[in-house]
Amino acid sequence: MTGYAVVLASEEFERVQAVSMIASVAASSDVPVEVFVTMNGLNPFETETVENMDFEGGRVADAMMSADTSSPLFTEQLEKAKAIGPLQVYACEMAMDVLGNDLEDYVDVFDDTLGVSGFLNRAKDKQIIFV
Amino acid sequence: MSETDIQADETVDAIGSACPGPLMDLIGKIKDVDDGTVVELLTGDEGSKNDVPEWVEEADHELLDIIDDGEYYSIYVKKT
Repeated sequence: MTGYAVVLASEEFERVQAVSMIASVAASSDVPVEVFVTMNGLNPFETETVENMDFEGGRVADAMMSADTSSPLFTEQLEKAKAIGPLQVYACEMAMDVLGNDLEDYVDVFDDTLGVSGFLNRAKDKQIIFV
Repeated sequence: MSETDIQADETVDAIGSACPGPLMDLIGKIKDVDDGTVVELLTGDEGSKNDVPEWVEEADHELLDIIDDGEYYSIYVKKT
């Protein structure tokens, strides 16, 4: 096993946040991580959504956003980790097409867009985590 | 107030940041310093006192001590 390939298909704040934390700690420890953000998983990465902190979530999300000691937001977390270790974040081309979006509609954490074949190629030697 | 004889070469102040902030800050610092350097991590995050030792062991560094200062923990790690 040479790292993790994470599929993030949920817009739930807690899941997005958990993916950013696990991916970041792994990459910081020199374990390669590819994150493929697809389906509704893309929604929380829209620039407007991040600016308004308009996330879908439950009790933990509410508590995290109002806590005194806060975990970094997933966007900052991923950016920081990318500077330290082998972490790539890709946006699903198909989901973006359906929404009529391009990469400029999202915060600047994506390395590129990617399709299913591209993801599977990058995931070949990795353990896949589906969120 | 607990005390230790350990002298840190570098201090990482992660008080006020929650999981995985303190660990990430420590990893960043450990990457920057030479072997043998003792890094002190200051954190108020309860999870860090269990999670940091797990990382230290996996990354083959040395956990020297964890001091409970009441308000926060001082975790001493030697890069090996």
